[in-house]
Amino acid sequence: MQTLALAAAVVAAMLAYPLMLHAAATPTRGGELAPDFTLKSTDGRNLRLSEYRGDVVVLTFWASWCGPCRAALAELNSRSAQPGGDRATILGVNLDGDAGRADSIARSLGLTFPTLVDARQAVGRLYEVEKLPFTVLVDRDGVVRATWSASTVPPSELERHIEEIGQ
Amino acid sequence: MNRHFRRGQPHARLFAVASLFVLAAGALVARGASAADVAADPTAELRAVDRDVQDLKKQLVDLNRDLFKLEEEILYPASTQVAVFLSVNVGTFFALDSVTVKVDDKEVANHLYTEREVQALHRGGVQKLYLGNLKSGQHELVAFFTGKGPHGRDYRRGTSVSFEKTVGAKYVELRISDREASLQPDFVVRQWE
Repeated sequence: MQTLALAAAVVAAMLAYPLMLHAAATPTRGGELAPDFTLKSTDGRNLRLSEYRGDVVVLTFWASWCGPCRAALAELNSRSAQPGGDRATILGVNLDGDAGRADSIARSLGLTFPTLVDARQAVGRLYEVEKLPFTVLVDRDGVVRATWSASTVPPSELERHIEEIGQ
Repeated sequence: MNRHFRRGQPHARLFAVASLFVLAAGALVARGASAADVAADPTAELRAVDRDVQDLKKQLVDLNRDLFKLEEEILYPASTQVAVFLSVNVGTFFALDSVTVKVDDKEVANHLYTEREVQALHRGGVQKLYLGNLKSGQHELVAFFTGKGPHGRDYRRGTSVSFEKTVGAKYVELRISDREASLQPDFVVRQWE
């Protein structure tokens, strides 16, 4: 019986191998580790995404020339001020490459979360940002749970995702 | 809504790890079946299963380590391997912010240090900053350090070393230390074969 079970397991592993190859070579939707990065924030600190493991992280990519980004930032900012807003850490990633400009806009919007400056747009490329604003929800294990492109994140939708992660 | 992100796991390692899990599942099924056959004591049976799982976990860790070493040997054979490490000795005159490493005028590594990483270096940690391949012969490595120097002033220093890559692996250590006499940071490059 034991031999039979082990033989079945080996056969199963052999059959699963091509599938695993496919999974490794082909990007899957969500569920992948969020690419790690370190960026300098406008207050001078260097922040690394992987150091937030254990926290739910909302990454939002924006640029000064993007009008809808300001609305998205304001929405996230107001969320962080609400009760329960600390259940997720928000990190803004500015793609202008100009720390002074990013800081000026962050101040004018009264952002309470860190603004990171992606001067070379390397992180933007890593996350395949094509349209702004682009928001990524990363769970406590550093896995991407959801993304929103070219739109403000509906607060109820974001809350629902955070609620699911919290469970 | 959801997008996708690539993850560069080696297929061989993935396969080996997954196979071990499947084998573990098979072993557990087999054990379960034999337990039913002999109607053994349930707690003893659970203990035995637990022991098996722990053994498998250990094997998995060992296998992962061996595969990691194998992968490194294949990607970076000793004949071409060059590794650059960074360490900090005391470092009271310099608060590290970033390091850029150039080899033969080509940027190969650029690292921004978080507060935690700096603390780890101060506690004696050594960071592998770069691992790559270079052909045998003469090469030049230049490292630029930025941070806060004495009196909190912005500080940028470069240091360079010419080295000869031979048939063995080459290890270069960038060491930040304090020069007490001048109350300035010191940037030292050391080499190992």
